[in-house]
Amino acid sequence: MTSTYQELRSAAEEAWRPIDDPQRTLIKVSVTTDSVVVGAKETVAAIKSELARRNLDAHVMITGAWGASYAEPIVQVKKPGEPGILYHQITADKVPDFVERAVAGDKTPAEYAFAALSESPVGRVAPLMTLDFFAGQVRRLMANGGITNPEEIDHYIAQGGYEGLSNTLKMDQEAVIKQVLDSGLWGRGGAAFPTGRKWDFLRTSDRTPKYLICNADEGDPGSFVNRNLMESDPHLVVEGMAIAGVATGASLGYIYIRDEYPIPVARTEKAVEQAREKGLLGKNILGTSFSFDLEVVRGAGSYVCGEETGLIASLEDRRGMPKIRPPFPAQAGVFAQPSNVNNVESYANVPMIMRNGAQWYSSVGSEKHKGTKMFSLSGQVQRVGILEVPLGTPMSTVVMEIGGGTLEGRTLKAIQPGGPLSGIVHSRDVDIPLEPEPFKERGMFMGSGGLVVLDDTNCIVDLCIYFEWFAEDESCGRCTTCFAGTRRLLEILRRIGSGRGRPADLDLIKLLGETMRNANCVHGQAAPTSVQSMFRFFEDELMEHLERKRCPAKACRGLIRYEVLHQSERLPLAEAVCPTKAIVKDDGNYRIEQEKCIKCDACREQVPYAITVSDEFGP
Amino acid sequence: MFSQASHNSRTTPIAPLAGSTELLSRINDLIADLQPDRVDLLKAFHLIQHEYGYVPRESIPLLAGRFDTTPAIIFGTIDFYSEVHLNPPAEKLVEWCSGPACLLKGSVPIRGVLEAVLGCDMNQTSEDGKYELRLAQCDGTCHLAPLIRHEGKYLGPLTASDTIAFARQLKGEPSLEERLAAAAAESTADTDEEGAE
Repeated sequence: MTSTYQELRSAAEEAWRPIDDPQRTLIKVSVTTDSVVVGAKETVAAIKSELARRNLDAHVMITGAWGASYAEPIVQVKKPGEPGILYHQITADKVPDFVERAVAGDKTPAEYAFAALSESPVGRVAPLMTLDFFAGQVRRLMANGGITNPEEIDHYIAQGGYEGLSNTLKMDQEAVIKQVLDSGLWGRGGAAFPTGRKWDFLRTSDRTPKYLICNADEGDPGSFVNRNLMESDPHLVVEGMAIAGVATGASLGYIYIRDEYPIPVARTEKAVEQAREKGLLGKNILGTSFSFDLEVVRGAGSYVCGEETGLIASLEDRRGMPKIRPPFPAQAGVFAQPSNVNNVESYANVPMIMRNGAQWYSSVGSEKHKGTKMFSLSGQVQRVGILEVPLGTPMSTVVMEIGGGTLEGRTLKAIQPGGPLSGIVHSRDVDIPLEPEPFKERGMFMGSGGLVVLDDTNCIVDLCIYFEWFAEDESCGRCTTCFAGTRRLLEILRRIGSGRGRPADLDLIKLLGETMRNANCVHGQAAPTSVQSMFRFFEDELMEHLERKRCPAKACRGLIRYEVLHQSERLPLAEAVCPTKAIVKDDGNYRIEQEKCIKCDACREQVPYAITVSDEFGP
Repeated sequence: MFSQASHNSRTTPIAPLAGSTELLSRINDLIADLQPDRVDLLKAFHLIQHEYGYVPRESIPLLAGRFDTTPAIIFGTIDFYSEVHLNPPAEKLVEWCSGPACLLKGSVPIRGVLEAVLGCDMNQTSEDGKYELRLAQCDGTCHLAPLIRHEGKYLGPLTASDTIAFARQLKGEPSLEERLAAAAAESTADTDEEGAE
């Protein structure tokens, strides 16, 4: 007997009540990739055993992430009738003291307290939404992060989950697509193509079966928004794809998740299973004539599988090599059948559009771009984490206010948006709104949401070498333009970065950049983007490397040397730490043998005043 | 249905190469339910790798038979994906994150240190086969940058000195303090000798 949505919702609300309004102490621990790596699982175990040891009556549950990676593991304690209090960096070793004071006692220990889940301060604990990291955010996709258990479908339904799907099932396909179009939603994967139009291509195709594909192969190093979304609220993606299935007539969907994300894989698989049990996936969804099912596919570590045709090839049991479009996936996608590929975040936005309407959805955002976008913040920034802001929010708000700017005493140099192929934004442009156009004007891409912050200790040439290495390493090898182009580019950049640059290199790079625009897929086409941004915005720094063979940030290893500045009695420490025995003692004096030195900086860490870094090729 | 894999397939079945029959029959059991054109090949790699820590070469003809294709296609596919390994991991495996946040915060010196102390280049195994260094892709744990992974644990943020201490401990080499003490003892011995003269 299939349940109606209302029945599911009532049952879910029943299950949710003891968590929403607990009658005994409730302890929530965020368990996601960024907290697990700092010991969240150990924290859960320690809390459970400490509660048992003290005979305390409390319920422990896991939740998704708040996004504040820098504060993990975050633990929430909610006592009956009181607002929940968040505590940060609660590692297992702190648990006994923490439980004694925050759970058994009625204090909110100041050294652990992070924020209060209330409108006004609780004691001296500030409300969460007044913290710098949260104040500028509009949390829609991340609304359940830290609140619900991502492994419980009832928690999701109780927050209004699957209402969008239930609404969709009562509408005809054109109306659903119109609502998605009206919302202004465009693909969040980087290409920014209207999602509704993409769906319409699939809907109007008359061949069956049709497939949906969710691109969760978030390969851009420095981007981790999709990871956070899938591990904190996987049902958003499941529901979004089910809605897309109804709207386009697709019968099966694949969620292709990269291999590096074990927790999102497990949670998405669980979400699919639970949705199937509740009759929200599979045959006759919620008792209607619509059938749609999902399958989770785990990738195997290939960056180009994030390109849609590469992803399709990977699904077809072969090397994930992109091919030339057309045919587009809507004409001939996976198994040569009509298919639609969207990013995780694109699908995840759909449930709220179908639940709250297009008008509600487009109430935030800029003039041209509606809705919110998740970003991940990393690099030389005070607060590393994942956040969500309306499209069009100035980048400075995200980097300087939410992220807290650069570390103490450093200055902002640049911001690298959306992965290795997207370019590098100069710090003077930090105010540009986060939407596609300002990036396009500068010859870059906004990409899928990673923001990596650089400060004055970082070198643009060094970063470009890294990106070009990445592009070369991940090139699939099908077209010469890309695999040879990235390799030549890398050689030239490495030459410049080691003081062997030639004047002709500048023209060579420009020529390569132009040639590579003709590569078969976007991987090769976009591979020179960061180098081109370097030419446009960081020419001084590049010329310093090329002409004076000097790296101002002292980051390019071929352009620096370590030397003993003066003899110090602490130098034996440097000698002992050196992994290559490069520090030697002649006639009672220490010196560094340059041929052996790997420039690892360990000696300077040990004896900072006696060792110096100077320019390899003189001042 | 059409796919490249079956499109390239041979019609004659392929005889399995020599290999341990036990190994082959276990792998055969693992992939028994998988089928061509069902997005199962990646699953097969993961199943086998989960069991053995790598995909044994002996399983390639078996996979070719199961997926209606040639061993060359299977080998090419394994070779394409960096997370599918054809060799068992060394006893002590250290993974080094290659991501941009790690780079900006000093991962290159850390890599140099690991290569120097463990005695192997990136994605290589040391001569004695005990230590292996692998390049890992960014998984967004950038609040620990620069980081390395070892036995499921994430270690970071690391300095070069931290990494040296870690790698020396892993190899059972003397620590910084022990080295200092040894050097001090040696120089005292030298002074004593000089004094005796």
